[in-house]
Amino acid sequence: MPTVSRKIERLINLTIALLATKRYLTKSEIFRSVDGYEGSAETKERMFERDKDDLRNLGVVIEVGSFDPVFEDEAGYRIKPERYSLDLGQITGVQIALLSLAAQAWRGAALDDAAHSALTKLRSIGVESDLDGVPAITPRLNAAHSDFVVITTAISKRQRISFTYLGSSLERQSRIIEPFAIATRNSHWYVAGNDTEKSQIRTFRLDRINGEITSMPVSGGYEIPEGFDVFESLSNLQSAIIATIDIRKGKAQLLRNTALSIVDKGEWDQITVEYFDSQTLIDLVLWHGEDALVKAPIELRKDVISKLHEIVLLHA
Amino acid sequence: MPKAAQTPLGRTARLLDLVPYLASHQGIELLSLAKEFDVSQSQMVADLTTLWMCGLPGYTPLELMELSFESGFVTIHNAETLAHPRTLSDEESIALLLGLDLVIESLPDDRKDLKAIALDLVARLSARSSLPAKLSAIPIIPGSIRSIIEKAVREKSGVEIVYHSAYSDTVSTRVVTPIELRDDSGFEYLWAACQSAKALRSFRVDRIQSVALTTVEKTATEASQDNHKINYTIFAHSREREVMERFALEPDALGAAIETSSYSREWIRRSILASSGGAELTAPADIRSEIQRAAQSLLDRYTSQ
Repeated sequence: MPTVSRKIERLINLTIALLATKRYLTKSEIFRSVDGYEGSAETKERMFERDKDDLRNLGVVIEVGSFDPVFEDEAGYRIKPERYSLDLGQITGVQIALLSLAAQAWRGAALDDAAHSALTKLRSIGVESDLDGVPAITPRLNAAHSDFVVITTAISKRQRISFTYLGSSLERQSRIIEPFAIATRNSHWYVAGNDTEKSQIRTFRLDRINGEITSMPVSGGYEIPEGFDVFESLSNLQSAIIATIDIRKGKAQLLRNTALSIVDKGEWDQITVEYFDSQTLIDLVLWHGEDALVKAPIELRKDVISKLHEIVLLHA
Repeated sequence: MPKAAQTPLGRTARLLDLVPYLASHQGIELLSLAKEFDVSQSQMVADLTTLWMCGLPGYTPLELMELSFESGFVTIHNAETLAHPRTLSDEESIALLLGLDLVIESLPDDRKDLKAIALDLVARLSARSSLPAKLSAIPIIPGSIRSIIEKAVREKSGVEIVYHSAYSDTVSTRVVTPIELRDDSGFEYLWAACQSAKALRSFRVDRIQSVALTTVEKTATEASQDNHKINYTIFAHSREREVMERFALEPDALGAAIETSSYSREWIRRSILASSGGAELTAPADIRSEIQRAAQSLLDRYTSQ
């Protein structure tokens, strides 16, 4: 593919020329000096426009400007080395080792390729990784939705995404959101963003997204709030309620683990727990069967009783 | 299997990243270089040949990059302009930020020094990317537990674990010899030879409450006993999504009675109760009546108090 190779050579040469220059280069200077611009003026013009787009797609920032009085009304171009190069400040071997652990957490998972190319760039800094300086742990990020990369790309380009979400009765809901962030907790992945129809910030579990996720072509359509945190936004949605539950000694571990306080009552312990969603707590209480009894609040107690009635009726 | 990016843009990106990598790894073997960039050796030779034609305007030998790779070892000179690695793309930053957050949460508690270094890296990466939101990855397994288990797997040493079995709702202390960590439907399991059961057992790592290294006598471990599988049928009445996730069913299967299986009667009983009326167990009849009795007796307790 000689033409393809020519194109790649031209892109590299253009990058080198724009990086090396101390001042803005005009188009005519570029056509005159950079190898590969051939043909009619119109052809060269088209080539250059496409090359600029291509480099920008690779994340190379090309600045447009003019400070040379001679070329007053002709735009010039350059790539500022400080915007082209990776600059993480002073980097130590231990830091490279930690970043390697971070990249390796993706092995076999969604961002494996991006993590690997990031690691190659970090290794190019020329600092040896100090593996002895970090404990030999290998934490892993688990596999998420097959369209994970669609979400991360959309976040970086500020594009809306649309998908079908399974509601609590498995009804298929069409959602369009402006994604802010993606996060994982306890082996579930979440994407949070502004739900455009509801004009509210909503959080979605990736494994409840049915089918593919598509991104809208328009980029830069919204702003991500500074410091936005998926899990903080989750807990801010509702205010917590405190429940009092009696649990049998040595039993009901899952409830016991979340207890705010424990009072010894002989055969039983009385605990208090904080909850946001009563149904989730009722499910957990019923999982413990005879070993957990809700004492307060009275509404929660009533709900448990009505759920038990349902179970008895269903299985009669 | 190398998966060379063959689009012109993908190749251009690779060539731009190749120069700083070579500049910091002079004399690297062609084979290792191809491996680092995940391409075949012949593709790497093609890439290096293309790079050879590039340089500063003028394009005389004085301006062109100087590459040598015929010997099987690669060196580069006269490439100062491109010698610094490129800035990270947003996607690369996302990958590292999520990975770093996971590493921070996974480090043992006594390595506060490393946590601080990693937090500083998060701050540096965030400041240099256009990602204002916090990217968090909170693992299910505390770092102190993970590091000991991984050490035991590596060194084939025994550990004493305090394990919470969710099915029987008991906490027990066992001495086990770890064999491996394995992922299964989103959870990590420790496969280990259990000394007290004299059999191979799997433990969900997030239910291990504490762990300590210990010595074990080397006894021959019997093969895992083939536990008895119980077939059961359920019908979802409401909150179908919860039922689907709890019983690991396909969403399309709901709407009719579904037959599935489990190794634990205890688990079936608890799961039906914990569905709060969303799921009905239609078979087997004995577990069904057991559930009915359990719910009735609980109900009596609530109404008598």
